[in-house]
Amino acid sequence: MLRLEGVTKSFGGNKAVDSVSLVVPTGQMVGVIGRSGAGKSTLLRMINRLGDPTTGRILFGDTDVTALRGRPLRAWRARCAMIFQQFNLAGRLDVLTNVMMGRLSYVGTLPALLNLWSEHDRAIALSSLDQFDMAGLAAQRADTLSGGQQQRVAIARALVQEPDMILADEPIASLDPRNTRMVMDALQRINKQFGITVICNLHSLDTARAYCDRLIGMAQGRVVFDDVPQALTDEVARGLYGLDAGEIMDTAGTALPAPAAPYQPSLAVA
Amino acid sequence: MSKPAGKIRGLGEADRSEMRRRYPQAFRAPVVERCLSLAIVVGGAALAIYTLWRFGFSPAKFVDGLDKLGIVVVLMMPPDPGSQLWHYASALAETLAIAFLGTLGAAILALPMSMLAAKNVVANRILHFASRRFLDTIRGVDTLIWALIWINVVGLGPFAGILAIMTSDFGSFGKLFSEAIEASDRKPVDGVLSAGGSEVHSFRFGILPQVMPVLMSQVLYYFESNTRSATIIGIVGAGGIGLYLANEIAQAEWQRVAFIILMILVTVSVIDWVSSRLRLAMIGRRAGATA
Amino acid sequence: MAKTLAILPSAQLAPLADAYRAAMAVKRRWTIGGLVLLAVFTFLSAWAGQVDLVKFWAGLPRFASYFHDIVPRLRFETFAADMVEWFWNFDGWLALLWDTLLVAYVGTLAGALAGFVLCFLASANLTKSTPVRFIARRSLEFCRTFPEIVFALMFVYAFGFGPMPGVLAIAIHTAGALGKQFSEVVENVDMHPVEGLTASGANYVEAIRFGVVPQVLSNFVSYSLLRFEINVRGATVLGFVGAGGIGKELISSIRQFYYADVSAILVIIIGTVFLIDWLTEMLRHRLLGIVGDAR
Repeated sequence: MLRLEGVTKSFGGNKAVDSVSLVVPTGQMVGVIGRSGAGKSTLLRMINRLGDPTTGRILFGDTDVTALRGRPLRAWRARCAMIFQQFNLAGRLDVLTNVMMGRLSYVGTLPALLNLWSEHDRAIALSSLDQFDMAGLAAQRADTLSGGQQQRVAIARALVQEPDMILADEPIASLDPRNTRMVMDALQRINKQFGITVICNLHSLDTARAYCDRLIGMAQGRVVFDDVPQALTDEVARGLYGLDAGEIMDTAGTALPAPAAPYQPSLAVA
Repeated sequence: MSKPAGKIRGLGEADRSEMRRRYPQAFRAPVVERCLSLAIVVGGAALAIYTLWRFGFSPAKFVDGLDKLGIVVVLMMPPDPGSQLWHYASALAETLAIAFLGTLGAAILALPMSMLAAKNVVANRILHFASRRFLDTIRGVDTLIWALIWINVVGLGPFAGILAIMTSDFGSFGKLFSEAIEASDRKPVDGVLSAGGSEVHSFRFGILPQVMPVLMSQVLYYFESNTRSATIIGIVGAGGIGLYLANEIAQAEWQRVAFIILMILVTVSVIDWVSSRLRLAMIGRRAGATA
Repeated sequence: MAKTLAILPSAQLAPLADAYRAAMAVKRRWTIGGLVLLAVFTFLSAWAGQVDLVKFWAGLPRFASYFHDIVPRLRFETFAADMVEWFWNFDGWLALLWDTLLVAYVGTLAGALAGFVLCFLASANLTKSTPVRFIARRSLEFCRTFPEIVFALMFVYAFGFGPMPGVLAIAIHTAGALGKQFSEVVENVDMHPVEGLTASGANYVEAIRFGVVPQVLSNFVSYSLLRFEINVRGATVLGFVGAGGIGKELISSIRQFYYADVSAILVIIIGTVFLIDWLTEMLRHRLLGIVGDAR
């Protein structure tokens, strides 16, 4: 169970995240929605401890995540795998080495630095890639792959971390519809099959409604909505995105003039 | 088409003032900038003339010197090493050795230093400032001066030349490398860190693969340039062809001088050619190698 | 293991692992080949360069003590007097340093002007005649290949001792270096303005003046300032061969073991180089803005 207690992050005088308190039970698939700049990304990065909260605590079970340093911190980061909008792979390294990055906290520093990995780690990484039909590309340089393929590599990296939780920061914002579907299906499968908590920042309301058990809406760093997707009415959504009553939401979460096609819920549920 | 042309030709004073009223910036704006450019040009020229006066430049002396230079060029023909060919060849090999080892050593030593001087690796402002100034100080001293200092340590000969090039390039590489590291993309670093990697891991897998091709290409570029510098380092006794060059000039053995110059030209073009090939090959094909 | 995935059965895994290993083996062979080549060259160079680590190790304390020796003792009580004694010839050195700066300045100026003229002749997009381009490029290459001190040696012979041969030497080397950089800039200009001017009747020089120069001027100025920075460093050692400036004083103090003088001159040189670097950088930022607006 993940618990956030009054988590705040200030940059200068700006509060990017403003006293957020949440409880996420294990196994939930949570979508975090809101305009860009609402603090979603900062929130996720703080849970992974890529950024430190200014005040407040993050707890996982009995562990105070915010107090971790050194090796325990690295172990924590491995437990809450992170997936990024821009994939954040090392483009010049091959695919398998990129996936191996997920094993870094399990192996000794020196062999890792020399890029020497055990057969066992290599088998895990290949199996993980194989889940996404990517094992054949293991020796390719990561920057030669398409965006969708790179995101699959990133998810494979997340899986070999053997995480308790996956944090996905706009995982589909740089992808086309087909790959969007692929990536979201994969996250959902990981969530349902292995009971791993998934917290996913999303731009698209449709996708959020279709895939998530619970939606958290953020505006100006604060949580302004926290409920099941069915409770997210158009009116609430408009408030979240700061739109006028005449405007409605399209699939990407941006405003369209009123006469556009009427809103239709997505049928993408697997 | 003749009609508008005719109208332009017939532009009278009235039209002109009308134009000036309508488009003031087309007539007025350049004045300030013109004055500034003029001031720069006049000031620059004045400084140059003052310099020539200070240095006692006179056209007669200049022509006289050119005349002498012309005679020298005639005396150079045909280039001929005399009995010294073998000495020249081995001195040239020494020159290449100085350039090669000097560049390589400087690059190896500069890599750790550049991490210290890169903001995104070591986030300590004092350390960053100190290491940058340290590198600047080293760069501020010319290679030849370093050669003189190293001669005190290891005596005359090419080893002092190697150490001199190593020292002065250590300063340059330290600066260039740290700039390349600072320009690297942050995202792969986040990727490695988020997966549980340490700071060292994030440098090894997040930054190093990105910057390696850039660094390699800079090293090769400096190797090219160092083959040129290494040709003169012998002037102060730090090995290589420079000693012979200076001696033959001092003894007015112009045919030999010409031969040495030709040797250097050929060697430098060969090195340039090989190095540019290597640079292309490295960046193009092999840069992704993980070792 | 694995809460998140099952390892593939070895029948499925083996071919994948083998394929990866085979692909890596190719890369590894390249890497090892490169490293072996590097090692061979290193050993050859170490042999040719008379690298002697024992001598190096033995001499290393001398390197440290050299810096210790050349820095005079400055006591707190008599700090001002010590400084005066250290920089006893400050005015004389400053005058020589001024010479050095002027050598660098006029050399850079003359070289930049020569490079400016030659760069258009060396650019493939402006000069269609292959022989002209060939000659322009080869002469730039010749000027660039030799460090200025080689030219200085010859010019000292022809023009006599003094700063003038230094100026000429720097000018020639600078013409070569800048001419090449300039021509690379010129080859990357947008050719549409040139075509437009040629179409409206401009000749070669006019087309360059109004079609090319406005596009490249800011880059040229920036490169010239950078080269000035380099030339200031280069000019400090021209005195080694009798071509004027502070270098003559430096080498004679080093040779005659006037330790305090060596450090004093080095301090002055390094300070000046810092100052010049800082000034040119500022100027480059400022001038680039102005020149940019003037287009």
